[in-house]
Amino acid sequence: MVTLEFHDPSGAIEVKQPFAPRVAALEGKRIGFVSNDQWQAYRMLPLLKQVLEADFAGIEVLPLDAFPQGNAVIGSEETAAQVKQSGVDAVIIGNAA
Amino acid sequence: MTNAVAGLGLAPDAAMVTFPIEMFLPGSDISPVEARKREFYDGLTRWRSTLGGAGAAEAPPIKVRGASMDEAFARANNLMLANRWGDGLPLWPPTRERVDWILRGATQPRSRRIGIFPPRGGVTTIETCAIALAMSGGRPEYLPVLVAAVDAFLDPASGSAQLQAASGSAFPVVIVNGPIGAQIRLNAGFGCLGPDPQRPAGASIGRALRLLQQNVGGALPGIGTMANYGGVRYTNVVFAEDEANLPPGWAPHGTERHAFARSQHSISLAFANGATNIRRRGAKKETPEEDALQGMYRMADFMRVPNMPGLAGYEHGTPGILMLPGVVANTMAGLGWTKAAIREFLWEHSRIPTEQLRRAGCPAWLEIDASKVVRESIALDPWPITASPDNFIVVVAGGGHPTNSYWLQGYSPGVVGRTVEVPSSFDDLLMDAERDLGSR
Repeated sequence: MVTLEFHDPSGAIEVKQPFAPRVAALEGKRIGFVSNDQWQAYRMLPLLKQVLEADFAGIEVLPLDAFPQGNAVIGSEETAAQVKQSGVDAVIIGNAA
Repeated sequence: MTNAVAGLGLAPDAAMVTFPIEMFLPGSDISPVEARKREFYDGLTRWRSTLGGAGAAEAPPIKVRGASMDEAFARANNLMLANRWGDGLPLWPPTRERVDWILRGATQPRSRRIGIFPPRGGVTTIETCAIALAMSGGRPEYLPVLVAAVDAFLDPASGSAQLQAASGSAFPVVIVNGPIGAQIRLNAGFGCLGPDPQRPAGASIGRALRLLQQNVGGALPGIGTMANYGGVRYTNVVFAEDEANLPPGWAPHGTERHAFARSQHSISLAFANGATNIRRRGAKKETPEEDALQGMYRMADFMRVPNMPGLAGYEHGTPGILMLPGVVANTMAGLGWTKAAIREFLWEHSRIPTEQLRRAGCPAWLEIDASKVVRESIALDPWPITASPDNFIVVVAGGGHPTNSYWLQGYSPGVVGRTVEVPSSFDDLLMDAERDLGSR
């Protein structure tokens, strides 16, 4: 019997931060969108804004362009800081290719 | 998406609601978004990650057994495909012995971290590179070029974070300058972008880079990379400039673009999304001057295309890489052409009339571009395909025959250079290669 022992080639993954805590309920909350600015977002996110506003009393859903858009900027610290400063309770990320 | 969150240092899962791309085509029905609204609400309120807390997870070694070496080798290959680590061609299992052998080409400790590979965020070390190079059939003397290429790839200026996942089928092009090209058997001549048992280094290095993109970076077709076609990705493109046939007065690419010394081992990394052979030579009895000029026009004509992905490199990257055989370069140099003059000519004669841009819907792409330089370029008629002639890359490479040149169409936000460091035992590695592969 021959045994071959070899390395896993996929490299280690580092988990450096936890996900944001979820909100208890959506009523009265402020929600933002962060989009990578692909064409799908222009159809989907306005519809999502519409259904959220219809389903939850007092909810405020910011416009699609409230924060910087595009692959090059949505993962940046600057965008994260803008999102935090805006006072939103949660964000929905529109990510398409 | 799991790649994207892992790349940001979060656990590789996320509250996701996914939809097929067909649903978003113009005129299509997007009511499924509303039908699944509850999933969005749950993602915002109830979802919890099921994965562990902070820390780096290092995978344990893998074992396969077989009644013979042949069977064990086959099982290892099957397992690597099943785990989505392969490319469909046979792989060397990266055993400790083989990886240690590859690491003889390292100048730094195996654990030295180069960076995290986007978008998945796999930790990339010298050893990670050696594992990929072992799998791709590489040798220790190739490792310095691979490590430099990976370092350039992971530089945010390369644009790799976006191109890894994007639909436009970008592939990295690694141009090697300095004596290391010939030393490690990189091809600079006939068939330099294809397979060559006499000069096999480019295929192994490029394949290793691709395996890293997939296995560490998560660029798995249809999952981590949405490239429609993915051409040239088995081995990417890795070749040496044919410096032995550079005309007098023509500087190597690494010196021109990155200011490296002529004798410096170096690499330059850009991205391309197309590869086109151009019949450059005239058909009849043109004078040398006519042959050169007609060839230049023909090459510019191939470049005069609305390559909208190329806008990513409009300002700082490259519209593409033009490869000229040494024999052509020397004839042209004898007629007074320099690399700079060639770039100026190509820039001027590859411009696209605004009317042609308009009928192809290109102004809309220019208008929404993040770069002010791109947006303002709409006013230029004819429209230049890149902001500056200096952005064109012109290299001397290819077989010693005057008929063809080659154009690697750019999709490259940046062009990133790195020097290549070799270990003190490099001469010994080259002697081992002489022993194993025969004389160069």
